[in-house]
Amino acid sequence: MHKLRVNSGDTEGSFFDEGTAALLRVSRLTKRFGPSIVLDNVSFEIPANKTIGLIGENGAGKSTLLNILSGMLRQDSGVMWLHGQTYQPTSYHAACQLGVGRAFQEQALILNVPVYENLLLGQEARFLRAGLFLDRRAMAAAAAQMVEAADFDVDVTRMTRSYDFSRRQVMEILRACLVPVLLTKAEHPVILLDEPTSALAKEHELAFFRLVDRVKTKGAVVFVSHRLTEVLEICDLIYVLKDGNLVAAVESKDASEAELHSLMVGRARMSDYYHKTQQHSVQQNPVLLEVRSLTGPPAYTDVSLTVRTGEIVGIGGLLGSGKSALAKGIAGLRPPLGGTIKYRGSEIHKPEIRRLIREGIAYVPAERMTEGLIGQFPLAWNISMASGHDLFSSPLGRWLSKKEEAVASQFVDKLLIKSGTPRIPCDRLSGGNQQKVVLSRWLCRTPKLFVLDNPTRGVDVGAKEEIYRLIRALTQAGVGILLITDELLELIGLSHRIIIMQSGRVAAEVDAPTEAKPSEHDLLALMLPSANPTKHDAGN
Amino acid sequence: MLETKLPDTIERKRTSPGLDRSWWLPLAVIIGLILFFSATSNTFATVRNLTIVSAQASTLLIVCIGATFVVLMGSIDLSVGATVLLVGAVSVKIENAADIGASIILVGALLGASLGLLNGILYAYGAVPSFVVTLGSLSIFNGLGLQILQGRAITFNSNALDIIAIGQWLPPLQNIALCAMAVWIAGVLIAQQTRFGRYMYLIGGGEIVAKNSGIPVRRYKLYAFILSGLIAGFGGVLAVARLGAAGPTLGQDLLLNSLAAIVVGGTSLSGGIGGPARTLLGVLIIAILDNGLNLLGISSYPQLVIKGTVVITAVLISQSRGTGALIK
Repeated sequence: MHKLRVNSGDTEGSFFDEGTAALLRVSRLTKRFGPSIVLDNVSFEIPANKTIGLIGENGAGKSTLLNILSGMLRQDSGVMWLHGQTYQPTSYHAACQLGVGRAFQEQALILNVPVYENLLLGQEARFLRAGLFLDRRAMAAAAAQMVEAADFDVDVTRMTRSYDFSRRQVMEILRACLVPVLLTKAEHPVILLDEPTSALAKEHELAFFRLVDRVKTKGAVVFVSHRLTEVLEICDLIYVLKDGNLVAAVESKDASEAELHSLMVGRARMSDYYHKTQQHSVQQNPVLLEVRSLTGPPAYTDVSLTVRTGEIVGIGGLLGSGKSALAKGIAGLRPPLGGTIKYRGSEIHKPEIRRLIREGIAYVPAERMTEGLIGQFPLAWNISMASGHDLFSSPLGRWLSKKEEAVASQFVDKLLIKSGTPRIPCDRLSGGNQQKVVLSRWLCRTPKLFVLDNPTRGVDVGAKEEIYRLIRALTQAGVGILLITDELLELIGLSHRIIIMQSGRVAAEVDAPTEAKPSEHDLLALMLPSANPTKHDAGN
Repeated sequence: MLETKLPDTIERKRTSPGLDRSWWLPLAVIIGLILFFSATSNTFATVRNLTIVSAQASTLLIVCIGATFVVLMGSIDLSVGATVLLVGAVSVKIENAADIGASIILVGALLGASLGLLNGILYAYGAVPSFVVTLGSLSIFNGLGLQILQGRAITFNSNALDIIAIGQWLPPLQNIALCAMAVWIAGVLIAQQTRFGRYMYLIGGGEIVAKNSGIPVRRYKLYAFILSGLIAGFGGVLAVARLGAAGPTLGQDLLLNSLAAIVVGGTSLSGGIGGPARTLLGVLIIAILDNGLNLLGISSYPQLVIKGTVVITAVLISQSRGTGALIK
């Protein structure tokens, strides 16, 4: 669909000119975690004096890739070369010594030490006197030199804690960029920056851009970010990861934000992947959920929407648009501060998850492993979890284990949970089958409204299709669905109506009947802030 | 289809968190200790000694059962020993003031429960970490108990309590051992067959997931501390009944011993794994070790060193690598 040269996964198929020297070359990297493949035969090159953008959805494998490049993880197979020599760092420290530095997504700074100690963390051995004592004055001087080189206004002898989050983020970046340049004196450092700008204040961005340009002249920079505008601005080349595969390599000057986004989420569709023939008009159906001016600062403000029985209402928006927080608000996990929620005709005064569950609302969170299920526990336990008070215990509190197992077996059969048995620990199942377990937890209560937050994240294609079929079947039975998703195609394919959020507010509402589905471009245009490029990363 | 066929499961060894491979290790240690002490001491493997060991282990087992639930849900209760002291001291005072016979057990249990309620409210609703709450209440309860006793041992006489504690309905076991076994069985049944027990596992295994599923997490945290206090109170009365007195050292060794027994038994301090069933094994290890070392004439200071070593070693071996056990 786009005029792009896609890296075939073969080292020979690289599209760089013969003349461009590759600093770092990676061939057929593969990494699995349990049953899921996180990186699948990924091959690429990082040419000298370039800034490379690395983009992809959550779970596409970006962080895993950086972890391997910086020696924090070991690939299952595949080879890496740095400056033409085989490169297999055994630790982050080893990678640093070879000139590969990294700024971390979560700040890796120690707050209660002076700034210079953080800037030179791991380099203390260079500042030893008599092999024992730290020469703090020399350290402070070296750190001051780094700060000066970046034209960054910070007193290196002050406590790290005394600087705000944004300045600390600059320190993190400084350390990654300049330690290899100034201290290790690596000839051609490769600097990996993992979402460095998400915590950066506007006034520090300029310093950051300058820094990247400076490092670029010496070596190369790999820049991971969700902010596509910045990626386009800073990077020369952009690699797109999708489900562990490198799906595209784009030159920034040829690419647009919309194109990048559709590359990140796009995927070849089957003819009726989303079972659109089963999407029927719901105009006549009664309203199931009516939300009026719901406000839960800072994530979302003044959101109004309705869901009819049998209707799928999709909520789309960029990362940080507040859509996940809204889902938590409606499901009663983080009760909103203002506005009203009317459910089946009567107002719910204090939305609180336990009560809403009793009323027939089900919530599937986006973070399956931390919020959705307990991996070490058996499948049956994970299914019965939300019904402990009504379905699976007697009035006196005795647990009904037999019933629990019977219900679990029933859902294993019904939803085709592969290798599922009531007693198998859920972490032995693949992502798709785990998600089916989470869905079963609610299905056994026959809910009337499902709030689904990215229900197919980290789920393989086959299971995805099954989940879509299940969602359709639910709507046939009159269940209302509020679908929050980052996947554009899923949003378009499934929804009757689509609500687009931007910085916590409803930016648009789009009808999506079977015969007139909106295009990805239409929706993207609505998601991207038109006038003001500043994005709030609130609440996601 | 395009998808790669993935192995969906690798193996199916483990069945449920209640029953798995870490059972055999504590069992092996118990058998090893029994063999070792039988060989080195000629008084260890005697009926008389069995009576002594079982009685000594009883208070520990009772107190541990309640505390196991707290550990199971990922918290910690350091105050059980101090609860035993305070409840013991109060019971002796009451019993000396007005001989109310065996109903003192009920009074003691209720007093313990209210002490647990105090811990639980501060922890679940005051959002103070359980370690801090129970460390504080440990000091408070100890102080109150010692104040009541004025630092001296106070004796008392009650036929009814004598029968319940040191009578022998089932020789050679003293009745206190039967009480302890009853508490243990009740604890196992609660853990494995009730809603309360299941929620303890769920909260310990994944508090956020439990919350997202509508489980009233805070309320059940409170229940766990009440149960722990209730059982400790019951244990406190039985302890003074067995000794015929409440002294300033009452319950002192329970702080270390209860946590050691729970952890050695195989309940993870990070919660969600283990349970009362296994705590029995931990209690047996600690009790046999104490008794055996005494019989060998090893003085109490080296005993502490040996006990600490055994606890750390047992946990070191039984823990699978990478799963750190940290208190939430």
